[in-house]
Amino acid sequence: MAQVEGEVEELTNPLFFVDRPWVTVVWDDPVNLMSYVTYVFMSLFNYSKERATELMLLVHNEGRAVVSSGRREEMERDVARLHEFGLWATLARDDQ
Amino acid sequence: MGFSKSGKDSFILDVSANEREVLINLSGQVIEILAERVDAATTDPLAELIGITGHDSPPDDEVLMRLLPNAYADPVDASEFRRYTESDLRGKKRTHAMLMRSQLMELEDEKLLIDSHDAMAWLGAMNDIRLALGVRLDVDENSHEKLELLSPDDPMHAVFAVYSWLGWLQESLVLALMQDLDVREP
Repeated sequence: MAQVEGEVEELTNPLFFVDRPWVTVVWDDPVNLMSYVTYVFMSLFNYSKERATELMLLVHNEGRAVVSSGRREEMERDVARLHEFGLWATLARDDQ
Repeated sequence: MGFSKSGKDSFILDVSANEREVLINLSGQVIEILAERVDAATTDPLAELIGITGHDSPPDDEVLMRLLPNAYADPVDASEFRRYTESDLRGKKRTHAMLMRSQLMELEDEKLLIDSHDAMAWLGAMNDIRLALGVRLDVDENSHEKLELLSPDDPMHAVFAVYSWLGWLQESLVLALMQDLDVREP
């Protein structure tokens, strides 16, 4: 049977480092309707109307907003779904 | 006029014959412009089978670029992502436009009944048309006033009228869908 040695701690740290979150960013767009953007956030991410409205206003007022975060693959899926509905979205590492 | 909620998970579109023609025509144009992109791809049957297209560079056409945008700011990451996903995205947009178009073409009177699944496709399709028209009209945050003042003789005047009407039509569906959610919430 294998024995867990003291190096476990050292091994897991770099793994977590590699796995640090990615974010999906939605950018402001002069064409997309405010109500539509809110509804897309509600239906794609299951956000409440309040949360979705808050994020939509952030996009509108600040020019961009982080709408989801997680593993890179998950963010790629989110960006693809946002593109399907015509929102201008990109993904990036959290620290950017 | 426009969309309204008609019952549980059911929405009704009131559409005149003229409006119907405009929507059929515009959805057809979106399908066509997406097809141009397909035709330009290098076709490798095996790559096609697993959803990889020859495209790893962004479209030159501004409308296509807005419909199929980059997913990463970094051009290398963006082209890698595009190579594996663009064909799927094009297919979804085509499906939305086709559903909208075929429902309108089959329509025999001025009322179309759709469910919430169709509604998402309609929203996506109407949005793609608005994005395409928005690029052609060069819409930005400040251009609405300028576009509203266009002379009626200006060909862009009619395009802007359609663009504005589509925004109103899309909003009527969004509001009907939100009303439906409010009803369903406990």
